[in-house]
Amino acid sequence: MNISAPKISDLQNGDGIGAKTAKLISDFSVHYMWEKKWFFIAMLIGAIMLSLPTPDGLSREAWIVLTMSLMATILFVTEPIPLPAVALLIILGQVFLLGSASSDVAKTLWNDSVLFILGSLMLAVAVVKQKLDKRIAWIIVRMTGTKTTRICFGISVVSGLLASFVGEHTVAAMMLPVGITLVTLTSDDPKKVRNLAAVLLFSIAYGCSVAGIGTPSGGARNAIMIGYWREFFYDPSNPETQRFIIDYVRWMMFAYPMFLLQLPFVTLILFITFRPEYRDLSRAVVKLRAQVEMEGPMKAADWVSIILFLLVLVGWIFVSDKVGMGTIAILGATAFLVAGLVRWEDINSGVNWGVVLLYGAAISLGIEMKDTGAAQWVAESFLDLLAPLGANEGFGLWVAVSALTTAVTNMMSNGAAVAVLGPVVLKMAVVAQESPIIIGFITAISSAFAYLTVVGTPACTIVYASGYLKTTDFLVVGWKMALTSTIIMLAAAFVYWPLLGS
Amino acid sequence: MADNDIDLQQIYEARKNRFRVLVCVDGSEESYGGLEYASSVANLADSDIVLLYVRPIDQGLRSGGLQVRVARENMLSWGLELPGIKYLKKGLDQLMADETLASEWGEKISHTDIVGDPLGDNKIEYTNEDGRMIVLKLKTAPTIAAGILDQYELGPYDLIILGESGSWGGWTKSLWDPAVAEKVAMHAPCSVLVTRDLKRGNGYLLCTDGSDRALEMVKKAGLYAMRTRSKVSVMSVALDVESELEAQNNVDAAVAVLKDMGVEPMSTFTRVGNPFEEINSAGEDYAIIAVGDTGKTGLKRFFLGSVSFKVMEHAKKSVMVVR
Repeated sequence: MNISAPKISDLQNGDGIGAKTAKLISDFSVHYMWEKKWFFIAMLIGAIMLSLPTPDGLSREAWIVLTMSLMATILFVTEPIPLPAVALLIILGQVFLLGSASSDVAKTLWNDSVLFILGSLMLAVAVVKQKLDKRIAWIIVRMTGTKTTRICFGISVVSGLLASFVGEHTVAAMMLPVGITLVTLTSDDPKKVRNLAAVLLFSIAYGCSVAGIGTPSGGARNAIMIGYWREFFYDPSNPETQRFIIDYVRWMMFAYPMFLLQLPFVTLILFITFRPEYRDLSRAVVKLRAQVEMEGPMKAADWVSIILFLLVLVGWIFVSDKVGMGTIAILGATAFLVAGLVRWEDINSGVNWGVVLLYGAAISLGIEMKDTGAAQWVAESFLDLLAPLGANEGFGLWVAVSALTTAVTNMMSNGAAVAVLGPVVLKMAVVAQESPIIIGFITAISSAFAYLTVVGTPACTIVYASGYLKTTDFLVVGWKMALTSTIIMLAAAFVYWPLLGS
Repeated sequence: MADNDIDLQQIYEARKNRFRVLVCVDGSEESYGGLEYASSVANLADSDIVLLYVRPIDQGLRSGGLQVRVARENMLSWGLELPGIKYLKKGLDQLMADETLASEWGEKISHTDIVGDPLGDNKIEYTNEDGRMIVLKLKTAPTIAAGILDQYELGPYDLIILGESGSWGGWTKSLWDPAVAEKVAMHAPCSVLVTRDLKRGNGYLLCTDGSDRALEMVKKAGLYAMRTRSKVSVMSVALDVESELEAQNNVDAAVAVLKDMGVEPMSTFTRVGNPFEEINSAGEDYAIIAVGDTGKTGLKRFFLGSVSFKVMEHAKKSVMVVR
């Protein structure tokens, strides 16, 4: 065949430069509007709501706060602008729309919960930087042997136990290389180890996710809920309200058994869903052992970091009710820096400070929801809506709150979900004469049930970043996990929590 | 700085005279099918192939405030590769296995730092004595579609090829979270080929509506077909029986254009009915359905809809939107 090569100039448009520039500019503005459409939609909804007359039973301030919350929720879910920018908008809204004094708004941005989030994030980076992951991996495989099921269960248990204290994101970041190494040492061909990779990596992700509820330091949302309880119900002049101060140990009594109960189900559900190609990983384990042995014995610095962390833990358990959990977390981070175990540069680049700002602003807005009576109004309206379904009290209400939280948390980060929903569900508990503690726990714990999406829980996001999982994998296995977890939680709320005098 | 600008402009101008194909690789079978097509369409000395893998930028907002880079650095310190590198290497191996490309290749590696990412943007350029280029590019961007479109801005391309990944929903889904292919096809200023189950079967099916744009499309698609040595068929759809004659005229016009270029169409036909349904049902027998761009952009296209997009959304075979 002899076909003359088509000339390149034939393939290109002959438009003039001017026409092209005009097209570029119009394309750009269309593109910009398209990318930011949800921002404009949110602003439009806000403007319409504010120009409407205030509904009966609401003050003007409450209506403004409610509008701001709705706009913030839309922006949290659709993310047309960076999330920290939403936090800044909340601050601006409080000053310009609500007319609060700038210094008063600034004061509501910081409290013990926010300090705690800040401190635990710095601690998280410090812990990951200690590079104890290889040793942990070795401990796991030494305990479990080489059977895939047992290794996966071991990974879930150890990840979970660690994550319940140091936070799920920390452990997910530490354990991710362990999972991937076991996969790549088994086979280089990704197709042959598709299911094995899923089982191993989900064991880490879900092991961490179910553990995040175990203690207050498991995740930001727990600290946020503890802050709300204190803010909403604690009255220093009334000793009766002392029970709304939930300290570290009390939280663990409520939530830790739930985490332990969920663990076996993680492995069970994963193995039913994915059926890994290899039943035995002895080849990979032998190679892993060789890698770990190159590390040599534990060094003094390793021991110091372990002891430091144990001291932080002791501080949280025994003295956090007096000095605040945030203080202990900050103290721990400072200790790691003073001991020279972590560089400030690592902490600075490893923590997304925008998250601290985001949670600060979200909590500040949540407290405004309470102060202006907006939370009360939404709670009442919501209960009226639930009444025909019989879900306005008792068990029905629990299920409704859990379902609502699970739905919201699958769309935005779980800390933001608790910050937004917290004030409303706590007021619902008051109106419906339910225990605010049980309802609060249901919300905080359900917010961990974001197994369905990559963005739902921090551990899932981190594990997904490895590139070994598909988004559809999360859907396939996630609903089973969500269902199991919900049933376990409702059973705990029904049988176990009332025994603790909530 | 001025020197720099001139440099960039020169590169840009030089690139305009080359046939540049951007292949987006994501590790899926479809994307490697697209790569195979790329090596056949860009088989002459005047063509470059750029393999692109886009990784969404890491940010800690979703991971509870701990930057994903902490996890990535940990992976790197274990000697594990980040996702993408492996996919690009596999793509390169596939290209080099093609004997038309077997020659000496010089290697040049460059790197651009990206704030907040341990790897940044990485590029490996391979150049042979004919001046042909194969580029592997690992890019970080806020979203995958944005990364692909950014890459277009860096140097004009004649064709973007990407594998079908993720399902296409109706307009509600596209308002919510358009699939990557949908977004790229919507915004890219050049031709876009979305590959699905791409096999050399009966070649191209060119769909014309008789407009100037459609004829322009026929010309370009004809050239692509010549380069890949594939067969070409032409069809046109009439909305009702009365206008069937008009459809036949459209087909004849397209055939005339093709014959001018020295391409003999394998078959020509007209159909009556709903354009995109007819195109899709006829297209099942072909490897690639080529449709013209209706000329609507962005929002206008979104609200008014367009046949090309509906074809793209529902077709079972590869679809090329020619611009």
